[in-house]
Amino acid sequence: MPVFKDTDFMYEVLGKLFTKLLENETVAQKFYNENINVQFVINDPDGEIWLLHGTDKPELALGDTDATGDVIMWLAGDDCHNFWLQKLKLPVALAKRKVKAKGPMAKILGMLPLLKPAYEAYPAICEEYGLPT
Amino acid sequence: MSYMDLNLGITKVQKMNRDMVHTFAAEVLRPASLELDKLDPEDVIARESLFWDVFRKGYKIGMHKILLPEIYGGGGFSPLEVHMLFEEISWGSIDFMIAFGVACFPAFIASMVPTDFLIDNIIVPFCEDEEGKIIGCWAITEPDHGSDTLGPFTEQFSDPEIARTACRATLDGDDYVINGTKAAWVSCGTIATHACAYLTIEPEMGMAGGGICVIPLDLAGVSRGKPWNKLGQRALNQGEIYFDNVRVPRDYMIIDEESYEAILDVTLSTANACMGAFFTGVARASYEEALAYCKERVQGGKKLIEHQLVRYKLFHMFKLVEACRAFSRAVVEFNFNTNPPFTHYSIASKVFCTQAAFEVANEAVQLMGGFGLSKESTIEKLFRDARAGLIEDGSNDFLALVAGEAIVNE
Repeated sequence: MPVFKDTDFMYEVLGKLFTKLLENETVAQKFYNENINVQFVINDPDGEIWLLHGTDKPELALGDTDATGDVIMWLAGDDCHNFWLQKLKLPVALAKRKVKAKGPMAKILGMLPLLKPAYEAYPAICEEYGLPT
Repeated sequence: MSYMDLNLGITKVQKMNRDMVHTFAAEVLRPASLELDKLDPEDVIARESLFWDVFRKGYKIGMHKILLPEIYGGGGFSPLEVHMLFEEISWGSIDFMIAFGVACFPAFIASMVPTDFLIDNIIVPFCEDEEGKIIGCWAITEPDHGSDTLGPFTEQFSDPEIARTACRATLDGDDYVINGTKAAWVSCGTIATHACAYLTIEPEMGMAGGGICVIPLDLAGVSRGKPWNKLGQRALNQGEIYFDNVRVPRDYMIIDEESYEAILDVTLSTANACMGAFFTGVARASYEEALAYCKERVQGGKKLIEHQLVRYKLFHMFKLVEACRAFSRAVVEFNFNTNPPFTHYSIASKVFCTQAAFEVANEAVQLMGGFGLSKESTIEKLFRDARAGLIEDGSNDFLALVAGEAIVNE
């Protein structure tokens, strides 16, 4: 049984998380400066989450878009959940083929330190939605 | 001498950076490495040696942090730019290229797993260093383990019998205790301040049961061997590191046995892809030496370039250099943008480019005749440098077997 029971539920939980992340001005500005679109292609449940460069600030999109992903990451919903709980290290997950990625790895790895506000926020979001931590 | 770039998308800024590094390679790195080549290994790293002056100049312009992300103060270059800069540095001196390359190893590997501790203590201080005070090394090979340390996902890599004598890390409380020896061919081994050490944590898993630990080399129990005396790349310091009950806080163990094999694969892919870029530079340097000589040297009443066979040979060398650049650039661009990487392509690039560099250097010596054999010539050093490339970062024969296994299992 996957952590996220269906796509809509996953969008609701992770949408809330990414919205919180992009509310952080430092994170938003640094992401905007990178000038890239990041696409998460998730399976089990299937879905797509986009962090778009946007016109004047980064934007979040859930589901299909017309955008092109500069960085594309393929992963399972459960691995996504474990990543935000810091139970899964991205470089290790990449190396062990749990996560696959296309795009400039230096930029991807360089963005990891920016994710701290999301790591901090996620346990409370899980609690709110009754998800395991 | 520059080259015509077949990539029409190269920007003015990229060309400018390439040309700036080329000037440094031509005016500083090449002459220094030729001077240092004549010295005994201990004199190369003596306090008053030219080596340190050049090393500091390299740090000053950021040559040590080309691979590191911009967010920490690193170069933040794209894979294409990394390749362009590495080719130029290597054109000037493969010795210094490898020294700068391994110097960043602890910070580079740490940047893959960037904890606050590693960012504050390893990555940022290294990026801020403009004086060559923080020098890393890649401490992987051992007296009894050379290329076989670079065989992730092969059958023998999980054989406990093979790892029995390996350098060990044992958890004791909040510290790892390190015992063993890293081999004489650890680049920057006797001058490094930090080792990025690939160690055995769980010997029952064979070499796959390893860990990657950043070890500050001023800890009690660390000692060094003498600088290694070798055929080529003599300006590159290499030497043993001994660990005798060295206690390292566990925060420095950045990868443990659970993911060692997978991260080693990424390391091998990155290192071999870079070697392709490096030896494109060596091949080009050798070709250019031969071309310049053949334009001047008169034999049989005419310049060498007027002889048909010489033109044929020069064309063959030119063709190899261009093939090296095209292939190694494609591999750097692909594997630096793909995770997990396709390591057998990186290996193919390393093997192809080092073999091509040796072939071009060998042909250049032949074209340059007696002068090519002379210590007065640059090609004599390039030939010896190129020879080392067939063995370092994994002997080409062994690497071919590793890549061959990956191909048939694909």
